[in-house]
Amino acid sequence: MRARGALVVAGILIMGYAAAGALTDPDLAPAGVLLFLAGVLIGHDIIVMPAVLAVGAVIARYVPSRRRPAVIAATVSAAALIFVALPLVLGFGRPADNPSALPSPYGRNLAVVLLVIAAGAAVPPLRRATGRKSFERPGDEAR
Amino acid sequence: MRPGAFPSRSRSARLTSQLGLALGATFAVCFLTGLLSHVIQHPPTWFRWPSRPVTLYPFTQGVHVATGLATVPLLGVKLWSVYPRLFTWPPFRSVTHAAERASVAVLVAAALFQVVSGILNVSRWYAPMPFYFPAGHYWVAWLVVGAMLVHIGVQLPAVRAALARTTTEADQDRLSRRNLLGTAGAAAALITLTTVGQTFRPLSGLAVLAPRLPDVGPQGVPVNTTAAGAAVVSLVTDPSYQLEVAGPGRRVSLDLAALNALPQHTAELPIACVEGWSASGLWTGIRLRDLVALVGADPERATVLVESLQAGGRYRATTVAPEHTRDPLTLVALRLGGEPLHLDHGYPARLIAPNRPGVLQTKWIGRITLLESR
Ligand code: HEM
Repeated sequence: MRARGALVVAGILIMGYAAAGALTDPDLAPAGVLLFLAGVLIGHDIIVMPAVLAVGAVIARYVPSRRRPAVIAATVSAAALIFVALPLVLGFGRPADNPSALPSPYGRNLAVVLLVIAAGAAVPPLRRATGRKSFERPGDEAR
Repeated sequence: MRPGAFPSRSRSARLTSQLGLALGATFAVCFLTGLLSHVIQHPPTWFRWPSRPVTLYPFTQGVHVATGLATVPLLGVKLWSVYPRLFTWPPFRSVTHAAERASVAVLVAAALFQVVSGILNVSRWYAPMPFYFPAGHYWVAWLVVGAMLVHIGVQLPAVRAALARTTTEADQDRLSRRNLLGTAGAAAALITLTTVGQTFRPLSGLAVLAPRLPDVGPQGVPVNTTAAGAAVVSLVTDPSYQLEVAGPGRRVSLDLAALNALPQHTAELPIACVEGWSASGLWTGIRLRDLVALVGADPERATVLVESLQAGGRYRATTVAPEHTRDPLTLVALRLGGEPLHLDHGYPARLIAPNRPGVLQTKWIGRITLLESR
């Protein structure tokens, strides 16, 4: 109980420090930071997550349950990679006079990585054939 | 919300707790390495940063960016696992409940802020960020850490209960929880594998989604600011170029011939960008300590201001503390890989010192001033 109270108080103090620091930093426009905070929160909660749930619903509806874990794993991995690589693929950060920044063909490379992921998911679940539950390690039952 | 609106059986307090622990760890790593990068660039008076080991900063900043990128699937799955709670009804049961929900909103927004702004920054796509990145990313780092402590304080009993071994969990649920955790981990590993080669040489062949490749650039080394971008081309190619070195009692002006006539030393040192990439080069030039001695100061104790010919820009000048000034590896480099520096690498002379962020390795040096002795 003590520890919880201490964590909460310390957390509130640190958040206060962050707010005070942001407000007094001459390099920072706090309105811009607030706008971006709100933007990522709203973007996540009303665009990204509903889209994820929609994809999940499609998988639940059309993918046989035996194949579902692999398909979900592939979809989550693909989504995370796309999230990280999208700005590189779009390439707005590539300066005209500096070929060493963003040097790779990111669209092609991302496509290759996604194909590798898809291929991985398409491999039939071998371990099930041996009679063991997929992803389970021996000994788990003992827990 | 109607029952069954979120039908997945994979969501569980246990999954959420385990992902929470993982995120606590990745955010702690990012916070500490990020804070370190900040104090190296803006040293408080009590702070001393050593010049060795040479690859310490490349390592810590490489870890910062790699850990941040690997956080993406963990954060994504974690937020998915608690998404139904966004629709809790009634939305606020009490003032405490409202405050707690507000702190969760701050936590989620700040966590997303750090990850998204970091990704945009390493992709050099600044336009979507309506603030100066290092300052925004720095203060929101404190915000996310504070919000996380509050969150842990509030959720501690729930986490303890969920992680206790006695928790009953149906076989099916355990299976899907394990699958999801494994998936998040695998996705994080895949992100790391395809990007970390920008700083970890053995994996550079796999770095297909890295913003940089350690051997792509003029003279085989990447560049951040170009000579054209810094508007210095005519200044540095002017044949009357001279490097001024100003000590307390003496000042000297050295043209290219005079610089080349001074004792030359060669060192293999990395350029380690704050953006998380690093690339090694073989630099040749004059030891900074020799230049300090040339104007009659004590190289063991000198703090030095190194200024670029750039007219402006945040990184046109840097202060070199005695730890770096005295290090024989700290060079005013004239050559890279045996050739005169490419314009974009800071021709005719640039600073290159061990264990320092790239933004502090001033290019196109015009003046070196001794500040004080410590
Ligand atoms: C995808 C995730 C992330 C990426 C790509 C990323 C990238 C970066 C970069 C490029 C810098 C250097 C800024 C500069 O000096 O110009 C930086 C600094 C920093 N980062 Fe991150 N970061 C990420 C996540 C995080 C997280 C989760 C935290 C912490 C809670 C964090 C805290 C910091 C701090 C405190 C600094 C120092 C800022 C300063 O120098 O003022 N970062 N990060």
